[in-house]
Amino acid sequence: MASLIPCPHCGKRPKEEFTVKGAVLDRPAADATPNAWMDYVYLRDNPRGRYDEYWHHTSGCRRWLVITRDTATHEIEASRDAALARE
Amino acid sequence: MSEFRITLRPALGSVTSIVSENIALTPLPEGHVVHVLGKPGDEALAKRLGSLSDGSAHAVRAAGPGQWFIVGNAAKSHADMTALFEALKPDAYGVDQSQGRVRMLASGPMVERMLAKGTAVDLSLTQFPLGHSTTSVIGHIAAHLTRVADDAFEIMVLRGFAESLWDDLAHMSAEFA
Repeated sequence: MASLIPCPHCGKRPKEEFTVKGAVLDRPAADATPNAWMDYVYLRDNPRGRYDEYWHHTSGCRRWLVITRDTATHEIEASRDAALARE
Repeated sequence: MSEFRITLRPALGSVTSIVSENIALTPLPEGHVVHVLGKPGDEALAKRLGSLSDGSAHAVRAAGPGQWFIVGNAAKSHADMTALFEALKPDAYGVDQSQGRVRMLASGPMVERMLAKGTAVDLSLTQFPLGHSTTSVIGHIAAHLTRVADDAFEIMVLRGFAESLWDDLAHMSAEFA
């Protein structure tokens, strides 16, 4: 298991400090079709390999992070602050 | 009018401090704790906070990007607290956590080994220098750690968890005491 998660603010921390939210997806426009919203809310690819996920450092700095993780090997390629990276 | 008067009792009023050569654990006075919420990367604010604290060493502690705790052993009056909140504006907001968070001091040569039983943070002096602070979990309880001396850490925790965390720390200290 990927037990040490590199937080860009706190350094390496155990996964118990984090909450996983799931895949990083682009939010559809407010007036997108119901099908587009259905996809966004419910349907997931479950890929094998490289995967962008939202993680919340719940018991640490309380920031939302984007973690790039390999679902097969659990290797973590990158981690960044979800909000600060967008600016 | 309620039949009972609400009285403020210290969260760790009934515990016995641990005093020994290798490890010591003691509750700190429930003075003031102010949570400061600003913008991540605001260096000017970070510099200004020191002048707003009571001036004691390590009174301002980082708590994640754009957030700090200002702590002290003396209780603040409502007027003092309001003045502090006003002084923080417009860069940041202050939230009075004086009754929300409880501080305790762990010290002694074995303090790193004692805390390492409960948290995965690297507590070595090179990685966690004097004055550094961070939030982590000790066991299952989220706690804010600050190194206040080479062999002393202050641990700040939500009030409701204070007694439980104290019991855990006492248990973790037992072999060194």
